[in-house]
Amino acid sequence: MGESSVLWLRVAAGLYSLGLIDAIITVLRRREGLFRMALGAFGVGALFQLVSIVEQGMTQGQLPVSDIFETMSFCAFIITASFLAIYYRYKAASLSVFIFPLVFVMTLVGALRSPVSTWTNPVIRSTWLVIHVVFSLLGYAALLFTAAAAVIYLVQERQLKRKRTSAIYRILPPLGTLDELISKSLGAGFAFITIGIVIGSIWAFIEMGTKWIGYGSIAISFVTWAVYLALVFFRVSAGWRGRKTAILSIVALFCCLVTWFEHAQLRRFTE
Amino acid sequence: MKLLLAGLSHKTAPVHLRERLAIPEETLPRALQELQRLGASEAVVLSTCNRVEFAVSSADDVEPGAIVDRFLSDWKGSGSAFDGHIYRLEAREAIQHLFRVAASLDSMVVGEPQILGQLKAAYAAAKSEGTVGGLLEAVLTKAFYVAKRVRSETGIGQMAVSVSYAAVELARQIFGSLKGHTVMIIGSGKMGELAAKHLRRSGASRILVTNRTWQRAQELAQLFEGSAVEYESFRSVLHEVDIVISSSGAKQYILNREDMQRVISQRRNKPIFLIDIAVPRNIDPAVNEIEGVFLKDVDDLEGVVTANLRERGRQADQAERIVADEVDQMMSRLRIEEVTPTIVSLQGQLEEIRAAEVLRALRKMPGLSEADRQQIEVMTKSIINKIAHGPISELRRNAGQPEGSVVIDAIRKVFHLG
Repeated sequence: MGESSVLWLRVAAGLYSLGLIDAIITVLRRREGLFRMALGAFGVGALFQLVSIVEQGMTQGQLPVSDIFETMSFCAFIITASFLAIYYRYKAASLSVFIFPLVFVMTLVGALRSPVSTWTNPVIRSTWLVIHVVFSLLGYAALLFTAAAAVIYLVQERQLKRKRTSAIYRILPPLGTLDELISKSLGAGFAFITIGIVIGSIWAFIEMGTKWIGYGSIAISFVTWAVYLALVFFRVSAGWRGRKTAILSIVALFCCLVTWFEHAQLRRFTE
Repeated sequence: MKLLLAGLSHKTAPVHLRERLAIPEETLPRALQELQRLGASEAVVLSTCNRVEFAVSSADDVEPGAIVDRFLSDWKGSGSAFDGHIYRLEAREAIQHLFRVAASLDSMVVGEPQILGQLKAAYAAAKSEGTVGGLLEAVLTKAFYVAKRVRSETGIGQMAVSVSYAAVELARQIFGSLKGHTVMIIGSGKMGELAAKHLRRSGASRILVTNRTWQRAQELAQLFEGSAVEYESFRSVLHEVDIVISSSGAKQYILNREDMQRVISQRRNKPIFLIDIAVPRNIDPAVNEIEGVFLKDVDDLEGVVTANLRERGRQADQAERIVADEVDQMMSRLRIEEVTPTIVSLQGQLEEIRAAEVLRALRKMPGLSEADRQQIEVMTKSIINKIAHGPISELRRNAGQPEGSVVIDAIRKVFHLG
């Protein structure tokens, strides 16, 4: 991949990161955060990405979808363009909670193609890894809270729906409180896990060049992140509560568990 | 010290007698002064709509019952109307009664919180008239503590025992804080208005009122500082509403499954609480099956109240145990306080006699070894301890008992304790 096309792609990823921040703020505060700004950055980012793809295509003399990195970037661009078109036509702002982080991570992966010189310093290398692990674990912990609160929500909802209420409903927290807890822990967890995955990808990229993308366990972690993203999206845009949230958060938790297990093995591999 | 509690309550007297005996707030200071003038060491008067009670302490040689009788006949004319309605409790029973009253165990609605405030006010009035400061004060201070303990260790006051409060309790379990939530009242009915009032007081910020009669809707809206909504179009604002109280006289359902399905999707699944207190019911029971819709009718709310009352009963049993425990503690403290001076002077007196006699005897026996002298000391001490044992345990046993002062006086006389 040409030097400058990667540079454009990284600029695009930087601009898309604003969208990610906006999405996280939206989830946490339950109102529009930096949407206007993020949307602007998104448009400019799309232009940079387009330039990158065109340049790459011209260098190669073909559509730049020859490997997973190029495909990722290309796919991200298509999603971005579609979103902008849909937004222009339908003003579907709530989709952004899903699209912004997705496009950001895909572009980021695409931008991690050309290998850089390896670590300048072993301390930086291990610090980087520690930060990745800490953020990922924080994300899992937050998800554990989300799932627990979602299950209690389910029980409490059943209790409150019953014709003859038993004393249990008094012991459990109110639905409103649980809902708040779910939103807060979900937003925080999503932020943590996204930072974790971004840092992890960059680490893997510097550590292993382009080989990392082939690891199954890394693919699993992206799937986990996607489930998390779906959970966030359905909650914010469709107002999912109760059973659906409970089920999806348990699925996400299960994915996290698999990822965690897989990665514990991965570390043994690399060291 | 003697302690008497005399009075009548909702349990012993109908309201027309209670109001005859009541001491209005303006005359309370005068009543307290009067009781003291008649010979009471301390006096506290508790006069509420459910009870009128006089708590009086007096010196041992004064009969507190006579003081209260005199007061009643002076102030309320013939005392005979109250015969059979007035209870008189002494010492331990009086203390126990005050603890139970403070802890709201003797209230008409067990666990209601007002009574403690009323008792505190009665105490404050007595304090400012200078008619407490001793035994009665100690008992009342302890009663406030017992009430607090009962409140924090049992859930006696925490459960709704009326239909309208049950609605508030359920709303709280659904929404957490009610702050910022909107209530809509459909139709007008006493219970609906009451529930709305409680919800408003619990933090609900916006009240919408709708009624088939526009005039009535406006009146109610004014009452709740809310706004009136046209009856024909109330469904179109329903998605902004978190709690609906329906008590209209409609003959068929005014809200059905389709209506609520639409509302809940407009609310993006945010929960909505429907309270249907109309008979016949206003809301199709099938709406309860929709996720996020919580429907309760009158029977459901009554069910909550019944369950709460039963639970309150259980909590009350626990509260009674706390009270009994505290009464025991108070009694043993009072007992010891009361007889301690007598015990001390009895022991002092015996020791004085012993010491003097031993001194005299030893002077007559100069040849005794140190060991023999020691032996004599030990022996004499053991004699007086054995003599004192009977009266001291008698004193402790009788302290605080109604007839105890007779025994205590007798012992003081027998031993010539000043």
